[in-house]
Amino acid sequence: MEGAALREPAQRVSPRARLMWLLGAVVQGAWLLVLVALGGWLWHWFPLPWWVFAALAAVVAAYVVVMPTWRYRTHRWEVTDTAVYTQTGWWSRERRIAPMSRIQTVDHAEGAVARLFGLASVTVTTASSAGALEISGLDRDRARRLVDELTLKADAVAGDAT
Amino acid sequence: MSELAHDEQWQRLDARMLLVHPIREVLRFLPFVIGLLFAGTATGNGDLPWQLLGVGVPVTLGVLRYVTTSFRIAEGRIELRRGLLNRHLLSTPLDRVRTVDLTSSAIHRVLGLATVRVGTASASQEDRLDLDALQVGRARRLREELLHVAPSADDPTDDQIGDSTDDRDVVTPDRAEVVLALDPAWVRFAPLTSSGLVIAAGVLGATSQLMNTLGLWDRIGTGEIVRGTSGLSWWTVVPVGIVALVVLVSLLSVGGYLVANWGFALRHVGGAWHLTRGLLTTRETSLDDERVAGVSVCEPLGLRAAGGGRVAAIVTGLDRRQQGSAVLVPPAPREVVLRVARDVLGSAGPVDAPLTGHGPRARRRRFTRALAPAAAVLLAALLLVTVAGAPTWLVPVAALGLPVGLLLAIDRTRGLGHALVDGHLVSRSGSLDRHRHALDTGHVIGWTFRSTWPQRRAGLTTLAATTAGGKQKVSVLDVPADEATRLAADAVPGLVEQFTVCLADRTPATRGSRRR
Repeated sequence: MEGAALREPAQRVSPRARLMWLLGAVVQGAWLLVLVALGGWLWHWFPLPWWVFAALAAVVAAYVVVMPTWRYRTHRWEVTDTAVYTQTGWWSRERRIAPMSRIQTVDHAEGAVARLFGLASVTVTTASSAGALEISGLDRDRARRLVDELTLKADAVAGDAT
Repeated sequence: MSELAHDEQWQRLDARMLLVHPIREVLRFLPFVIGLLFAGTATGNGDLPWQLLGVGVPVTLGVLRYVTTSFRIAEGRIELRRGLLNRHLLSTPLDRVRTVDLTSSAIHRVLGLATVRVGTASASQEDRLDLDALQVGRARRLREELLHVAPSADDPTDDQIGDSTDDRDVVTPDRAEVVLALDPAWVRFAPLTSSGLVIAAGVLGATSQLMNTLGLWDRIGTGEIVRGTSGLSWWTVVPVGIVALVVLVSLLSVGGYLVANWGFALRHVGGAWHLTRGLLTTRETSLDDERVAGVSVCEPLGLRAAGGGRVAAIVTGLDRRQQGSAVLVPPAPREVVLRVARDVLGSAGPVDAPLTGHGPRARRRRFTRALAPAAAVLLAALLLVTVAGAPTWLVPVAALGLPVGLLLAIDRTRGLGHALVDGHLVSRSGSLDRHRHALDTGHVIGWTFRSTWPQRRAGLTTLAATTAGGKQKVSVLDVPADEATRLAADAVPGLVEQFTVCLADRTPATRGSRRR
């Protein structure tokens, strides 16, 4: 096979995942700013010029605005008859491929925040502890259908998956 | 009647285990007795009854453990029952058995016992199935049968099992052809490995603790030593101290090497590799051929400089904590290392074949990654000297980092390479800790393409083949992206291709072969 490049997986996660990530980023950023403000001005742990605080606030704001969209663009997945393919990360991008015949477990998880948005994540593991594939931010029903589909396909292939 | 049929009823471990715990406790008590004789006055006579209680309690626990532990092999499962208050029942299907280890501590050996450790695919520490202990001959027969059953568990009443009741019919590893036997001259490699240093540090720590217990530090009188040497200048004391330390550490690591690897032998018989080693505690490990997914030839800088290396097997069903039992060759001369690696893989290609380099962009990345931290340290030193008024000798010391980084980058570039030979994915990388991994492509259970932002800009990616053994993956560091895709597609046909696009549609800037 000469001159071919890996493409992105075809499917995106649920658009609502952006809201979930946005909420997470807002909460985290607010915590950070409140702690820094308290430590600097109220409790005087360290000198805090106003412009440092402003710069930090700007960074947090940029993260809150950019991250959900960026992550939505990069977190992708695809399932074919013979393999599962996922892509995650934006600074360090990771693409993982697992053959259907090597799948050992398929996990369906709904975190507390994810349930607010009707979302769920699906984790596919193989016999290697280095190779788990996680698709987070899937629509709950889509995730359930995906789990059923993967379980059926994985069962259809013989072998003990090591 | 076969060993397995004979084991169908619940039964206890060997009764001689009742002796092991008392002996172990008495040995632990020994330093105190010696201290008593040595010091005369002892560290406190009032402690004696308490010390005896300290012996009595573990002995009682040992008896209880013996009475409450039993095991059986029935209905295609091996089951271990233990515990007085919390009853445990461990049960594993025989066809899940991956490895069988026999371990005998010095006490076990005197009593003719061996601990049987049954390794399954489960990685959980709590599910470990240890039979501590059985009579050695019985333990060996049990191992034979567990491993014979394991590959084809469909029919446990198979003929080959029925034959092996008689001792003479059992194919013991001792009769097989020896692939590797330890040459005592190899101890010269011991001080060059980091594990040698760790062993030395451990022995030094234990010795100082023992001396503390016996109150020997006070008798030696550290104060007198300091006073006695105070007349000498630092220029004498420091080099002498360093030489003494080097000699001491070397001696200890040589001792550690001999204790761990005495009688090391690697044999192949009955579709499995058998490892035996140990001076005081002996270990016998059996690795089923099916489970050996590949080998790693390790050449840390020190060993490489002395013309040595070592080999570890990539074994599925052994987790990280058990990696020690996958050592196929302890530190040994390079030709021995390569010969055993070829034997285990059954072909010379993955060990000897020239590797494809990763090209100029990977080389540039080696240099930036090695030199940038060195330059940063130098810059920081310059700043400290000029701005903060630190002593000027800081600058030349910091500047030493640059040539070291340069040499490291050159060596790392030279080491980088990969190949696909005789059905094995081969990858080599590293300088201080150089590895050449060869992984059977049949044991590749997934791919990971990892690239950071700078890597993507350079068109490079780190390809990892995940597997169920060893470090769980074999990485090909900083390989050009299209070469990574090609390699993955060639190694496991029909998997990666469905996710690729033809590169001809793209800009020609991302193309180009980088074979050297």
